[in-house]
Amino acid sequence: MKPLLEIKDLHASIGGKEILKGVNLVINEGEVHAIMGPNGAGKSTLSAVLTGNPAYEVTSGEVYLKGENLLTMEPEIRARAGVFLSFQYPVEIPGVSMTNFMRTAINEKRAYEGKEPLSAKEFLSLMREKKKLLELPDKLNNRSVNEGFSGGEKKKNEIFQMAMLEPCLSILDETDSGLDIDALRIVAEGVNRLKTPHNASIVITHYQRLLDYIVPDFVHVLADGKIVKTGDKNLALELEEKGYEGL
Amino acid sequence: MRVSKGETYERVFVNEEVKLCIEQEAGSHVKIHVINASFCITVNQIGEGCSTEIYGLEHLHGEDNVTAETHVTHAVGGGRSNQLIKFVLDDNSRGRFIGDLKIAPDAQQTEAHQTNRNLLLSETAEMRTQPQLEIYADDVQATHGASTGQLDESALFYMQQRGIDKNKARQLLVNAFMKEVIDTISDEKIREELLDAVDGVVE
Repeated sequence: MKPLLEIKDLHASIGGKEILKGVNLVINEGEVHAIMGPNGAGKSTLSAVLTGNPAYEVTSGEVYLKGENLLTMEPEIRARAGVFLSFQYPVEIPGVSMTNFMRTAINEKRAYEGKEPLSAKEFLSLMREKKKLLELPDKLNNRSVNEGFSGGEKKKNEIFQMAMLEPCLSILDETDSGLDIDALRIVAEGVNRLKTPHNASIVITHYQRLLDYIVPDFVHVLADGKIVKTGDKNLALELEEKGYEGL
Repeated sequence: MRVSKGETYERVFVNEEVKLCIEQEAGSHVKIHVINASFCITVNQIGEGCSTEIYGLEHLHGEDNVTAETHVTHAVGGGRSNQLIKFVLDDNSRGRFIGDLKIAPDAQQTEAHQTNRNLLLSETAEMRTQPQLEIYADDVQATHGASTGQLDESALFYMQQRGIDKNKARQLLVNAFMKEVIDTISDEKIREELLDAVDGVVE
């Protein structure tokens, strides 16, 4: 069976500065991979490159999603093919309602899969069902995307969108940052409930804390643009205790 | 024309050039929308306690060349005025906003706001903004703001990351920008028609 995601010797830079210096990673269906590492190691760059953020340039290397070349796909095609990023800093979009935004996104994905668009009724009942999962308020529908949301609401809203879009590969970029313990629990439970044998997650985090809730199968340490160590969940505990210097 | 004491003059002009000179008597209300056409609106509040609202929305394409011009004078006190003028400029279009706002020495306790926001969708479109404020009274609340920018790249990427086609994402942002003006129209029928025209582009 082909891996879900295969990253081979990936190099990437921003503004001419090389950030990723040869990343190799294989992710299979059903797996949760944590990526930890000090600030500036390239964790967010990796998520930006995988999702096709135009600010970053891939200078060499290959990435395959289910055997297809991911790097030649436009960002929206990657998303429709099932790559989802929970943004570290979700963007506020004044004037675009959550309903309009989400309905456009869902129907674009359905069209890509050769499915009929959802009717207004089907769509709204799906919104209702998924909002419950994240304990989000009903009034969400008419609000502009992320506008005036608290830090916790923004992160919940990311996982809510993940629940709506059912991606095969979710990248959670510092989803725990800025969350109090209750919001962290809701977000983590949401992520856990969305787990199936056919999808996988990359959990990018600084801290062990999130990994108490979302238990990884693998923990990778990214330092200076490369994965320098891989282990199981115990590696995260070890890092918590000894720090990155102790490696 | 003159709007008599306590009267209301409210109009929405769509695709129709507008040239108006209005004197407002005490306690009168003026609310004007101009959509997709050049206009020159002069308002003089000669009576106390008037309100004036002027909204302009210009979505320009091709070789369009549109000027929005307002001259608002608060001659006496206790009046309010609000102006919101927005341009969306594509292709080789040219836009110009000239906005004079004058608060006379006797016009104490005036509240006046003027906002001009412009969105450039092409590198060859051009916008010129000339706001001019003359404030001679001290007990007033007056604000003005003018900005010209491009679509928010981070918002575009965020939408693409959710599977929304880049052109559709651009359209959603442009519509959101225009909606702020359309939402201020009191007449529900006209408002809905304009919103449909704006949203229709996305379907």
